Amino acid sequence: MSEAGFLIWLQSSALGEFTRSLGVWSYGVINLVHILGIALLFGSILLLDLRLMGAWRRVPLAALSEPTTFMARIGFVLAVCSGLPMLSVNASEYIGNPFLLVKFPAIGLALLNVLLVHRSDAWQAHRHRALMPRERKRLAVGAALSLTFWLTAITGGRMLGYW
Amino acid sequence: MAVLAASPAFAHHGWSGQEDKLVDMTGTVVQSVSLAGPHGTMKVRVNNEVWDVTLAPPARTSRAGLTEGKIPVGATVTVRGNRSVQGGRHEMKTISVKHGDQTYRVYPERDM
Repeated sequence: MSEAGFLIWLQSSALGEFTRSLGVWSYGVINLVHILGIALLFGSILLLDLRLMGAWRRVPLAALSEPTTFMARIGFVLAVCSGLPMLSVNASEYIGNPFLLVKFPAIGLALLNVLLVHRSDAWQAHRHRALMPRERKRLAVGAALSLTFWLTAITGGRMLGYW
Repeated sequence: MAVLAASPAFAHHGWSGQEDKLVDMTGTVVQSVSLAGPHGTMKVRVNNEVWDVTLAPPARTSRAGLTEGKIPVGATVTVRGNRSVQGGRHEMKTISVKHGDQTYRVYPERDM
């Protein structure tokens, strides 16, 4: 399905019809959930990534990674569950919007990076023992990529509405 | 169907991306008011061009009396607002919609 075809389908879907029927405050409330989701996601990721890149070395990595990845997951779920209905309200308006092709590929790359980092030996090891320099470097690279991809995704998303 | 320039108002706080001058356009409603998105919207055909009429946020548009279904497709309306600076875009940020002897002022403070 083409991008335009998908957007038109999404707009005419049951989700689109349902979201449009929710009343004059619904878009604002759904938008609020989206912002809270992004705040949780990016706030958590920022703390973890800066730690992985060398900040706050006195904070044990394993103690920080658990709450931040947990909160980031919750934030991501909130952002997706609010983002889809928001897009479905008037999806056809975004046909040809170049920022779609910034935001969604960046989210894809960010998720791929999460997968690769979490599968790495370094990430597996950080829960049980101190990391070797090579492993720290691996996670620092992953953290830098993470910040780059998520910031790109958020920027693309914000600019969508101003195209 | 007429296009008239009204007063050249609020030059110092025109909406970014919109012309400073207020314009009245009269045309036929081809898509009635929707209050679903971040802003209320409707579509109006003026001189064989369809204009995206962007209204206030849904709750504000509704408080101005302009609710969904109030103006049927095919009705003649006069919309007043600031058109997009991009000439090909056919989009107007609208401050009032006149339908018959009713005028819905969604941004009354801008109508001067």
